[in-house]
Amino acid sequence: MSTIVVNGQQRKVKASPDTPLLYVLRNELGVMGVKFGCGLAQCGACSVLLGDEEVRACVTPISALEGKPVTTVDGLPQRWASQKGKMSAGTLHPVQQAWIDEQVPQCGICQFGMMIKVTELLEANPKPTDQDIREALTTSGPSPHLCRCGSYAAILEGAHRAAKLMMQGESA
Amino acid sequence: MIRSPSKSEAKIIYDINVHGARLMGVSRRGFLTAGGTLAAVFAMGGRSAVARVNASKANLHAHSAATVNGWIEILSDNTVLLRTGKCDFGQSTIYTAYRQIVAEELCVPLEAMTEVVSGDTDRTPDGGGTFGLLRYGQNLRKVAALMREASLELAARRLAVPRANLSVREGVISGATKAISYGELLAGEDLHLVIPISGDLTMPMGLRVDADPPLKPVKDYTIIGKPVFNPSIAPKVTGKTVWVGDVTLPGMLHARTIHPATLGSTLIAPGKLDGKQFPGARLVRIGNLLAVVSPDEWEAVQAAQSVADGCEWSKWEGLPPSERLEDHLRMMATEDPTPVRDGRANKGNASSVKTTRELRASYLMPYHKHAPISPMVSLADYREDGSVWLHTHSQNPQHLRRMIALMLGSDEDKVVVRTYPGAGHYGRSNGGSAGSEDEAVLLSRELRRPVRVQWMRSDDMQWSTQSPAMISDIRIALDDAGRMAAYVASHIGPGMQDDRLVGALLAGMPVIPAPSPATTYGFQSTVLNMSDTWVYGTVPAVLEQAKGGAHPGQHEATDVVGLRSHSMRTPIQFQQNCPREIAISEAAMLAGKDPLQFRLDHVSDPRFVAILERLRTEAKWEDRPSPSPQAKSHGSDPVKGQGVSIMLRDNGYWACAAQVTVIPASGEVKVERMTIVADVGIVINPLQLRRQIQAGCLMGVSQALHEELSFDKGAVTAKDWTGYPILTMAEMPELKVVITDNPTVGIYGQGSESANALASPAIAAAVMDATGKPIRRIPLKPEYVRAAIKLHA
Ligand code: FES
Ligand code: FES
Repeated sequence: MSTIVVNGQQRKVKASPDTPLLYVLRNELGVMGVKFGCGLAQCGACSVLLGDEEVRACVTPISALEGKPVTTVDGLPQRWASQKGKMSAGTLHPVQQAWIDEQVPQCGICQFGMMIKVTELLEANPKPTDQDIREALTTSGPSPHLCRCGSYAAILEGAHRAAKLMMQGESA
Repeated sequence: MIRSPSKSEAKIIYDINVHGARLMGVSRRGFLTAGGTLAAVFAMGGRSAVARVNASKANLHAHSAATVNGWIEILSDNTVLLRTGKCDFGQSTIYTAYRQIVAEELCVPLEAMTEVVSGDTDRTPDGGGTFGLLRYGQNLRKVAALMREASLELAARRLAVPRANLSVREGVISGATKAISYGELLAGEDLHLVIPISGDLTMPMGLRVDADPPLKPVKDYTIIGKPVFNPSIAPKVTGKTVWVGDVTLPGMLHARTIHPATLGSTLIAPGKLDGKQFPGARLVRIGNLLAVVSPDEWEAVQAAQSVADGCEWSKWEGLPPSERLEDHLRMMATEDPTPVRDGRANKGNASSVKTTRELRASYLMPYHKHAPISPMVSLADYREDGSVWLHTHSQNPQHLRRMIALMLGSDEDKVVVRTYPGAGHYGRSNGGSAGSEDEAVLLSRELRRPVRVQWMRSDDMQWSTQSPAMISDIRIALDDAGRMAAYVASHIGPGMQDDRLVGALLAGMPVIPAPSPATTYGFQSTVLNMSDTWVYGTVPAVLEQAKGGAHPGQHEATDVVGLRSHSMRTPIQFQQNCPREIAISEAAMLAGKDPLQFRLDHVSDPRFVAILERLRTEAKWEDRPSPSPQAKSHGSDPVKGQGVSIMLRDNGYWACAAQVTVIPASGEVKVERMTIVADVGIVINPLQLRRQIQAGCLMGVSQALHEELSFDKGAVTAKDWTGYPILTMAEMPELKVVITDNPTVGIYGQGSESANALASPAIAAAVMDATGKPIRRIPLKPEYVRAAIKLHA
């Protein structure tokens, strides 16, 4: 039995320490905003934030979490609320709101990881250039974040809009 | 309308002819306080079947293969329920365009379209593959128009106002100072509109509405043309959507299938499952179908890997390796008995046109993967009574249902397929199966527990179908003025589709017929059609031919899987349009003409003239002959080039320009800018169409630069994203999409296909423009570009 922090909550976990976070989140904790894509750290569908850093849940055993909190797309509204010092997570995270405003997804399966990566970027770099966004989603992690549907143009627009919403400190 | 003889029950029996449909039912208005509907139901077998229907609903059940209630139901609370057997594949058409089409014809606000039920074999009407969605949008348009007309007939009787004096706006029917909403009209009613349909529920083309109601004039549209949001996006980005991989059932086991070493191997001995190391896991074997199951998914993954390492499979070498693909296709062209198909535009005696200047060239298109970002996953629940519930992501659930029933030897009624959102796989399941569904069913039957089969990345790369390769021999003869005098093309490739269930093949269970020249089942054929529409109407002599054949490995034995083909986004037209358009650009080069102007000189349709002219400005096209005056085929300095391509698909007109830079020494190609101009007719939703086109275009750039399936004598050798790379965001060019709304043509435009096919020929032509060397093979990988430069040095 170990304890991990997921989306602001302490969760007890039975899985063996070598189990990748992906399976623990989905099957044991019912946190579904993280998707299986390759299991090989090649695509980014399974990205979560570990502390402030994007990692691939498919290759991160729970023993490697070192007590750092995990945030998935499901926990983004709450992350935003706590960053803004608000009590409740009443609004969406600006990245989620921007993804709706810009109608970013095609099928949407890659967007969980895309939104996590863009959140990581904007928390560190609130006014990114096109180049910053491209690099974040291509070269900054263990692999590029892949989108089969070709939604990259929409993602670029979504990321810029999210940056604006974040600056305004509001999302809905 | 007949007054009931019984005085105590003031019911009205309706039986009204509405443009070939029949409005039927019993009105008990005044007896019921709540509820009331008008539902569209089907009479299979076309117009004559409508006449045979009697008012009993039981009888209607028998006539409607899937469900008693058809596409549309209007409810007394003024909402409208839409049911469609089509599924959403990420292009949002069923949630946006379909709702817009129906709301427009019914003349209700879009907000009244509150619910869309899609792709469940027990709850939705119509079948067929999920492609050409807006062509089938015509079905919905007609059903909605019939529903509107039926409601007007009812209202005329209720309000005692002649039908001709009534009209509908915003969900309210009015005329002669009287008005009634749909909801008020239907309160307490239980009415159905029996609509004649024909077709076959489970076959690729599905069902067709067999009536011609008056359609709302395009000029009166208020909802079509609006940038409506896709309502399925918000639940997806907030994590509320239940995706196919998220579905669970009590007692469910996680399975990983262990696929054979090659596409034709049989199992000699399974590897050992170490019970100490994996206490919860169990090994299951059904013929050559091998799987490990466990209540714990991670245990299933690890145990399957360890068993796979110890498996012994028979050797099989029935494939040509991918580097010998061209030879194989040439051999197939002479040895395979599949007949040649002629193009529809063939005219004149093209082969015998004599000329002093001609292009003769061969173009090779590789195998492509659909390559969804998540591999296939399905959950099956085989129950004691022999029924099976299958939870999956399929573009054609009705045909999947039929194939599962065939595999099990059971009635189709015993099989229910429910579909959920999943990773976009662009046509792979248009015949029903994308992989994993049948395996889940067989394992669930064996174990009498719900079983979830999740394919791993390597299963998806190596065991799914692929978009077939093509080799095209093209000859273009120029006359003295440098105009095309004759065009001759011969396209050779395996048939488009093999929908046999791969798990059933491995398990030795019944499957649909293998593709052959004689197979007439669905799209199962080795025959290759001319799918690219000829557009250069002024060319006097044209001969286009397509020669199909068996897929590699297929002839070894009927149960050998082999390298199965499957349609993929813009199927076959991609493979035929790309060589044609590269060849046209080469012919322009030979003629010393600007390739954009060269196209203008040869098209006859004014819609092409308009979009090509528009492309010239939007793309900042340089009006000059190709190759570029700065073209270079050596050195490490980047050289620039421009290229153009056009396509006609489903009455949509497309033109595309690519601007690239090439480093001749390394063969590296960078796509700088893509411009697409599209005239697709009536634009239903400009916002979603723009997103579809942008995304399609980038998939096309991916196909142009990177995509090619590699295989050896037995197996697909690409196992993951390193073996089959796709476009990354860093490589995204600047993108410009111009949509010219053209309501005069009266047809809804398609956006989810075509855009992906335009990039390859435009980019290849741009590389030719930059280097001055012919490029006759995609993808434009550095090594192929270097080889092309060297070949023509
Ligand atoms: S699933 Fe983890 S990177 Fe692909
Ligand atoms: S939106 Fe489908 S994979 Fe990215």
